[in-house]
Amino acid sequence: MNTTTTALEPLFTLLSQSYTTLETTFSKIPGSAVVARYVRSSHQNDPGRTLLEVILILFAIRTLLQSRTRADNSGKHFIKFDEKEVDELVDEWTPEPLGAPLDEREQAEIDNSPVIVGPVGPKPKLSNGKTVTNLASYNFTGLAGNETIKERSIDALVKYGLGSCGPPGFYGTQDVHMQLEKDIADFLGTEAAIIYAQAFSTISSVIPAFCKRGDIIIADRGVNFAIQKGLQISRSTIRWYDHNDLKSLEQVLESTEKERRKKKGPLTRRFIVTEGIFDHDGAMSDLPKLVELKQKYKYRLILDESVSFGSIGRTGRGLTELYNVPASQVDMLVGSLANGLTACGGFCAGSHIVVNHQRINGTSFVFSAAMPPLLSVAASEGINILRSTPSILSTLQENIRAIRSILDRVDCIAIPAHPASPMIHLYVRLPSPTHLLPSAALASPALSSASGRLSNPSSPHPRDPEIFDCDLEDGILQDIVDEVLAQGVMVTRAKRLRGQELTEVRPSIRLAATSALSKKDCEKAASVVKTAFIKVVGRHRK
Amino acid sequence: MAIQSASPTPSMFRKKSTPVLNTAASYLSAVSEADARARAPRGTPNSTPALSLSSSVTSSSEDTVLHEREELNSDGLAYPKVPPTSEQVFTTVHAEFGHCANDSYRFTSRYNPARPLKAGEQDPPYYILLTTYISYILVILFGHLRDFFGKRFKATDYRHLLAHGGYAALNSDFDSFYTRRLKLRIDDCFSHPVTGVPGRTIVLLDRYSPNHNKSILLTGGKTRGLNVSSYNYLGFAQSKGACADASAESIRRYGISACGSRREGGTSDLHIQAEALVARFLGMEDSLISSMGFATNSTVIPALVSKGCLVISDELNHASIRFGVRLSGANVRMFKHNDVKSLEALLREVISQGQPKTHRPWKKILVIVEGLYSMEGTLVELPAIMELKKKYKFYLFIDEAHSIGAIGPHGRGVCDYYDVNPRDVDILMGTFTKSFGAAGGYIAGNRSLIDRIRLSGHAGAYAEAMAPPILTQVVASMASIMGVTLPRLDKPTSSTRSLLTRHSDSTLNVIAEEAPAWRGTALAAWLPTWMPTPQSMCDGSDSQMRLRRLAFNARYLNRALRKLGFITYGSADSPVVPLLLFHPGKMAVFSRLMRTRPTPIVVVVVAYPATSLVTSRVRFCLSASHTKEDIDTILVACDEIGDLLDLKQGVGERWPLQEIMARAVELVHMEES
Repeated sequence: MNTTTTALEPLFTLLSQSYTTLETTFSKIPGSAVVARYVRSSHQNDPGRTLLEVILILFAIRTLLQSRTRADNSGKHFIKFDEKEVDELVDEWTPEPLGAPLDEREQAEIDNSPVIVGPVGPKPKLSNGKTVTNLASYNFTGLAGNETIKERSIDALVKYGLGSCGPPGFYGTQDVHMQLEKDIADFLGTEAAIIYAQAFSTISSVIPAFCKRGDIIIADRGVNFAIQKGLQISRSTIRWYDHNDLKSLEQVLESTEKERRKKKGPLTRRFIVTEGIFDHDGAMSDLPKLVELKQKYKYRLILDESVSFGSIGRTGRGLTELYNVPASQVDMLVGSLANGLTACGGFCAGSHIVVNHQRINGTSFVFSAAMPPLLSVAASEGINILRSTPSILSTLQENIRAIRSILDRVDCIAIPAHPASPMIHLYVRLPSPTHLLPSAALASPALSSASGRLSNPSSPHPRDPEIFDCDLEDGILQDIVDEVLAQGVMVTRAKRLRGQELTEVRPSIRLAATSALSKKDCEKAASVVKTAFIKVVGRHRK
Repeated sequence: MAIQSASPTPSMFRKKSTPVLNTAASYLSAVSEADARARAPRGTPNSTPALSLSSSVTSSSEDTVLHEREELNSDGLAYPKVPPTSEQVFTTVHAEFGHCANDSYRFTSRYNPARPLKAGEQDPPYYILLTTYISYILVILFGHLRDFFGKRFKATDYRHLLAHGGYAALNSDFDSFYTRRLKLRIDDCFSHPVTGVPGRTIVLLDRYSPNHNKSILLTGGKTRGLNVSSYNYLGFAQSKGACADASAESIRRYGISACGSRREGGTSDLHIQAEALVARFLGMEDSLISSMGFATNSTVIPALVSKGCLVISDELNHASIRFGVRLSGANVRMFKHNDVKSLEALLREVISQGQPKTHRPWKKILVIVEGLYSMEGTLVELPAIMELKKKYKFYLFIDEAHSIGAIGPHGRGVCDYYDVNPRDVDILMGTFTKSFGAAGGYIAGNRSLIDRIRLSGHAGAYAEAMAPPILTQVVASMASIMGVTLPRLDKPTSSTRSLLTRHSDSTLNVIAEEAPAWRGTALAAWLPTWMPTPQSMCDGSDSQMRLRRLAFNARYLNRALRKLGFITYGSADSPVVPLLLFHPGKMAVFSRLMRTRPTPIVVVVVAYPATSLVTSRVRFCLSASHTKEDIDTILVACDEIGDLLDLKQGVGERWPLQEIMARAVELVHMEES
């Protein structure tokens, strides 16, 4: 016994020595006294407490070290398999094809879409060699092919090259981009503006930059696809009001306010999202009333002017100019540079705070290359031309009137578009039992509120949806498009992603008026459309 | 070497034998002094240009049009230091595309299966991580303090952060705090406006801030700097040359805009031609072009997958992919960055388990990876993933936004680099913004799939089609990379033929015979008839020069930085070189010091949220337009600043700077150790 003690003595001394060294080193660490005191006081002669704390610390370390991409195999739905079983399951599994093959009709659409050879303009040449009158392309102001713009763009090409080769945050911002932003802000009369590289990606990035989970968005049921995608990404609470029906909007605002008061939730950001001229049908929002409502209920307004900017108002400033509402009243004014200015890209105009926020939080602004400099020069020059030539917009309005005067009172055509809208949608009106709605319903969309029944604000579907046979109408309209093309006029069906849009959009032919055509050409083209409608619908009746 | 004569550096920058300065105090004062000088507004009448003891740098207010500026060129940016001899004919502007006639400064980017490149990810010492966290905590603490007092005493300045008049604050979350309190401090390093061509050099518009970056104003002056910030891998950002000529001609012929979406009358013959060429370039059946790179992902992915499908995504995939996946409604799982083992484990789990709760088999599984990760410089482990693909039957989507053009002996991206048949990949996506100097993106695959995307993708119906001049730049730069075979019957082409046969050093001749195979040349019939096709484009000498110069530059900088002792990420063949800085404060100082050197160098610094919180980094984007001397300039600068900021934390063999520069060719050709 004694021998073992003596044999172990050096070990004991070593242990006690190292303990003393440890203790002194520990006491030398700044703050060690606090830790020691904490351990002592928490221990309180109760090992259970210490054990609990140790477990807590271990748990915290485990949580911190856990990988974010770890497999979630702890859930109750997880089934354990051994390696062989997994291999068998892997062998068994057959995936669906990546893309569903096209059916006949889809293939026909791919094969028959018109291809323009050479420049787009009022009278382009198609790949079949024919020169046609163009009522399909967005060239409202006739700036496509404008020589001044071409010259300025070539100058820009010589100075800047073509691409910007970087996102705006990393040396992709050129002086011409800043100039364009300033031009847009000046043109509209807002504090600032920000440009995006593609019009379609603008609003779907603007909405989620401001609207987060828990925020409230009240949106029109007829908003375009890009807005729908923005709403989807934002994950906000969405309430819907009937298409272009401000009475319905007011009811939804009222009921949302009541709901909030009842819940006594915190004040969240609230937005109204709608369009100036609706891409789906060409209807126009009543901006003054909209602004009045938003101020009354303290909402912020996100207005998509993709169609109306550069096509409405005395010089093309859009709805704000038409209704004489200061653009600063619209919190986020989103527009397209591709439609009205025939350049490329989109913009959002608003206050400095609104714009600067997007410079870091606008996803498609931050993570995408800046617009090619020559396109911003083209857009700047386009604004210049619109500013100095109000006759462009008055010609456009005359052409719209000329087209409408021919198409307005045709039995088989229904036009939902506003009389001043340069985008004219034509529905086919069939006197068949598949289409039961009275014709008046098309002229005044305020149907549901008129009948006194409310739609459910949580659903994008209205209470009384329009009833139409999508495939049938699409087929008829395509026949009309083909017939019109054979007569030398290019028009297009409004192409929709069936099944992906929130609500089924009624098939239509979309005409885009342009100031580049003469009034006579417009009348001639409209007559061709009218004749084709009568002919094809008549054929269908037989 | 340009730099020695032109940069009489202030004493504190002089290379010390040891990276340690005498005391901590002197080190700190040196940093603050250098930083203060760097932050001083430049070009204002009252201030002296920072760090310019030589008179050369004062030419900062030159015009972008080169021939109009008075000659002051000791920084070697606008004109080569050594004038060309009579035999050397350069057709490019040196400031856009550097002159380099030395044929040994060339390399071919190709995967070597025998000695695969290791993606070197070294961890920094713990004190670096600790101090990084501490500095974030400090800044966040100060931020909250300032917010606390500011909201009480200066309410007008904080109005947008507070609820007022019945409106909730417009932006008040952590993102907003981060922007105001952290990013604002170093805002002078971001969103710097530029002018002119973003080529080998770039012209910065000088700015200054009178109120700590709350507002940043332009002084009106300009500074030309060496550009390692733009995605200009093959140097096609040029205002002169074949591509620019072609684009100008297309503006004259086609105008600016396509005026509508592809399916609503916005399709022109140029679109058809460009899509066919892109498909041939990639070796795929068909392709679809979209007018914005970001939108290519965000509008196509929803057409491929939907509810009941699974997307397996690399954890560091680009925001546009995440955006697209979120829109699609498919389930998402992530695997560890570029880790094939993690991917396989995940695949085994998800296939065996099926859909959550219901355990029904997945409709389809789409694995989305990037070819080259632009923040990491890592290349996808394609061969291993192809093996997995055979076994697990998933569909593979490769985002080649950065790798297309920049990687592979023929510039055809990662498939070319690893010699993988592109048709075995289901979907190749890429952008034209980077290597092609244009804008927009493409998606390529088999014909029926692409037709499906034409119909079901969002862009076809709703987004504007690509503008003609951009399409032309795509066609011209792509034809230039491919080389063009002129029709044999067309007029006597003796000159072209002689040129074709003269280039025996490349595989071009062989390929020309068997065109139009993958990696072959383009036939003249594929291009618009009006497009000028100069000889250098036809014989492929231009593209070979670009591809091989880029490969050399990428390897040289990658390896040299490691030999200097820096921690860099990624493959040595990657033209994006991230150099780790860690501390948020060092980002700003690094960027400012680089920008204000006698030969200013324009770099990108990135931090959270683009990277993880602790791995702030500076990112060098190399280009074929850089010369070996340019890389040397960068190395000299990195060496000095690296000592000053204590950045050389890497392990491994180190070489002195002079040796690296002298043995550059050897360094590039060295096998991976």
